[in-house]
Amino acid sequence: MTNDSSPLAAGGLQAAPDPAPVAPPPEPLLADGVERPLDPRALPLERSVCWIVTGVVSGVTALGLVPVLLLAPLPDWLALLLGGAWVLVTGLLAWWSLRWPPLWHRHASWSLDATGLQIRHGVWWRHVIRVPRSRVQHTDVTQGPLERRHGLGTLVVHTAGTEHAQVPLGGLDHATALRLRDHLLPREGGDAV
Amino acid sequence: MPSERRLHPASILFLLGGQVREFLFPLALLIFGARSSDWGWQSWAALLLIPYSGLAVLRWLTLRWRCGEGELVVRSGLVFRGERHVPLARIQNLDAVQNPLHRLLRVVEVRVQTGAGAEPEAVLRVLRVADFEELRQRVFAGRAAGTLAAGDAPAPPATRELLRLSAGELALCGLVRNRGWLVIAAAYGLLWELGLQDRLQERVFGDAEAARVEELVSGASLLAGVALGVLAFVALLLLLRLFSMGWTLVRLHGFRLARVGEDLRTEFGLLTRVATTIPLRRIQTLTLQEGPLHRLTRRVSLRVGTAGGGAGEEKSAGREWLAPILRRDALPGLLCEVLPELDLAAIAWQPLHPRALRRRLKWAVIAALLLALPAVPLLGAWTPALGAALLAWFALAALRGVALMGWAVTDDVVLYRSGWLWRETTIARVARIQAVALHESPFDRRHGHAGVHVDTAGAHAAAHHVRIPYLAREVADGLARRLALAAASTEFRW
Repeated sequence: MTNDSSPLAAGGLQAAPDPAPVAPPPEPLLADGVERPLDPRALPLERSVCWIVTGVVSGVTALGLVPVLLLAPLPDWLALLLGGAWVLVTGLLAWWSLRWPPLWHRHASWSLDATGLQIRHGVWWRHVIRVPRSRVQHTDVTQGPLERRHGLGTLVVHTAGTEHAQVPLGGLDHATALRLRDHLLPREGGDAV
Repeated sequence: MPSERRLHPASILFLLGGQVREFLFPLALLIFGARSSDWGWQSWAALLLIPYSGLAVLRWLTLRWRCGEGELVVRSGLVFRGERHVPLARIQNLDAVQNPLHRLLRVVEVRVQTGAGAEPEAVLRVLRVADFEELRQRVFAGRAAGTLAAGDAPAPPATRELLRLSAGELALCGLVRNRGWLVIAAAYGLLWELGLQDRLQERVFGDAEAARVEELVSGASLLAGVALGVLAFVALLLLLRLFSMGWTLVRLHGFRLARVGEDLRTEFGLLTRVATTIPLRRIQTLTLQEGPLHRLTRRVSLRVGTAGGGAGEEKSAGREWLAPILRRDALPGLLCEVLPELDLAAIAWQPLHPRALRRRLKWAVIAALLLALPAVPLLGAWTPALGAALLAWFALAALRGVALMGWAVTDDVVLYRSGWLWRETTIARVARIQAVALHESPFDRRHGHAGVHVDTAGAHAAAHHVRIPYLAREVADGLARRLALAAASTEFRW
């Protein structure tokens, strides 16, 4: 929280004013079009997710492999091959757990301006998704157990579209996610059907 | 109609219908003593009919609906009560389906579609025809009152016919759009249901027949065998086309498209009559389809994507047809009716990035190799010939495909066309764009390319979308920005 309030205050003075403020939002300096990285605490979160995946995969394969190696009458070379494969997979996963989170974090950002929300993510396959504000049907803020521990939240923007019917934005400070949600709430009379 | 009403009493029959269909055939067979030895599970399950019919009667007794104060209310349930309120203004489409039994009883099944999900919001199974007309009028009256100034008495809008398909056109439609497999699948399903499929299979593919075919093939020379195979293949293709024509003639019989005020109405069907309503402003996308036979006969097919549910299900796919088949010279007139802001002839089509062809050709080489290599044990030294033939075909497809691909953008619409033999052009209204995404794969980055995906409501997965690949990075970024900005500055209205 402390580390994202300073860029907000610094970059937001020339922000386009909200045309129809129902009630003055607590900090109206969110919709300034500045690209913001994810919260720094998203990095340890992603790291723990990676390590959990690594642990589960290598643990489960080890559980399966050990009885086979002990009980089945395998030739030595096959046993060595299987053991080697397990070590290799675990090693690769561990390397991935070390390298992936910073990469992922570096390539993810979001920005909000008067026209809508823009989300950038992806390391190999890169995506920039723009959701115009007038197309936001409703928004959710969710918090998983790990996110709760890190004080983070995920904003889910729902549109009437199909491929992007739900646009998730994870790795936000929970308070920021709530402010974003308030900001993206459909304005009064917006959908005069 | 502020007072609550029940469905038509015949509803009990149709409520039962869904569950009973599986049991009906075995039941009939049982009653007529055809195969009493086959006392299968379906016949036992037929005993469930008794509680089912009780439930159906109960459901009919408890389901009530009313239409008033700007909403449609459907109440149902005895123990678990449900009350569904559908604001009339949110209703996207009112579809009416009448199969022969419905027509006999003068009732109609009504599907109320809103923007939510793939399922109809409410299904009223079944209403009196008069009730449906009243409901339809109310929905439209409500809409008219919302758009006109207060106090304006909504005069019944004039009906203008836009398209009527004769039997000849429909036969042509069946010919150019091959739906033959659907008929085969349906027939097979029916045979399976009747339990006749095993017998038929024995008759056709039995040992005696197999031996006869073998004799025929081995007796003839290789050339004659090949000729026979080709002949059989051509015969199958012709048969499929014939089936397709029959299917189209029955299903789309008397297809009629009319404009009533600000709505489009279609009506079609010989056995099952379908009447649909598509409000003009709820059209999200338009897709033009052209196969090789379309071009030969100078025809196109025109589909619309609406936000209403059911876009994905084949059952109501007819709702999406604006014109199953249309003369090419009649296209501008119809388009002008549906999208007055678009002039297709004046569209300046933009090509893809020049290196798109190189990338496609690379894939052609890879695909030809991957397909030809597994054939090595089978063909031996002939494999390179197969590889070369595949490569020539894929290269031709790449060459023509890239040359024909194109995109365009105006203030109101964004267009994308693709395909070589089977060409499709999708037109998305900017005011209906939900999200714009820029995608860059690792391959894209090597060439400085990016793709733009335009997301709209009600576009089902298998359909053609505005997904423009192989754009120069800056062009793609500019396009995505422009579309997002244009979409943001228009109010989205359902």
